[in-house]
Amino acid sequence: MTTTVGPGTAPGIHTATCTVTDAGLKGEERTETSEQSSTDVLSAADIPWNLVVWNDPVNLMSYVSYVFQSYFGYSEAKSNKLMLEVHKKGRSIVAYGGKEQVEQHAVAMHGYGLWATVEKASSSGDGRGRKGGARG
Amino acid sequence: MAKAFKYGLKGITGYLEPAERELLRGLLDDVISMLEPQLSSNEDPLTALIGLDMNVKEPSDRALLRLLPNVMKNDDAASLEFRQLTERSLREGKIGALRAAAMGLDRNELVLTPEEAKLWSMALNDVRLVLAERLDIRDEADADHVHAMQDWSQAEDVESYLALVYNFTTWLQESLVQAMMASMDRKS
Repeated sequence: MTTTVGPGTAPGIHTATCTVTDAGLKGEERTETSEQSSTDVLSAADIPWNLVVWNDPVNLMSYVSYVFQSYFGYSEAKSNKLMLEVHKKGRSIVAYGGKEQVEQHAVAMHGYGLWATVEKASSSGDGRGRKGGARG
Repeated sequence: MAKAFKYGLKGITGYLEPAERELLRGLLDDVISMLEPQLSSNEDPLTALIGLDMNVKEPSDRALLRLLPNVMKNDDAASLEFRQLTERSLREGKIGALRAAAMGLDRNELVLTPEEAKLWSMALNDVRLVLAERLDIRDEADADHVHAMQDWSQAEDVESYLALVYNFTTWLQESLVQAMMASMDRKS
């Protein structure tokens, strides 16, 4: 190994993480107009399974947001909002639907290296009662 | 010294020194060998062909379990059943991304297509997840502690060396994701 890669790495990481966080906070003000993906079309009452993404100390905030954008097609604002929810609350319901559909999403998340599980919406307090549109 | 990935006219580009490429190749190969399924002689070739693995178990190695997590938090039986149906293809997908990244390491100048960039980001993430388990990073405080290790002259033992390697891959992945975001912004 060379000794050349150590110094100078930290500022890059730090700055970039802050940038994403700032974007996420600003983004929340304009989330109302973001498009809904096909996952959100059904009403909450019809769809008893949630896809939950859990916080971990390894995955980069920027990467988690990128995954939400590129896989689910969520807007940058919505992706950042969900990512910050994972980061601050420890978990976030990032999609819901039929069991097979959310299981497919879970495998995709595992492919990206995100820690995701599926659960029946009624098994936790924050699953039901949210309408699809409210996820903005 | 490595240059951060960036997005420009040629697409997503980066630069790694030979020693850095060797280091990354070794890390990618390590994770590939962790993920390669054990071949069992009495396996039904048809079930293998369609991606089933009825002999699969929840991994005992924490790092491997982090790469191949249970799909349900409190239902081991359902998680195992799901694992039988999906784990083999999940392993294969991850190995594919890790191999794609390793193949790109044959020159100093890296020029990535959008698809290659995606596979690189996934591969770097899996490498980091494994390193983090080896470093026992359990919470944000652990991560901060590891992150404080930035000086290669401090690399006195295996743990400090691993921490520096982890920080290098973190920095590389962060710069790659920023470049990918920039390319997505440009297109939208």
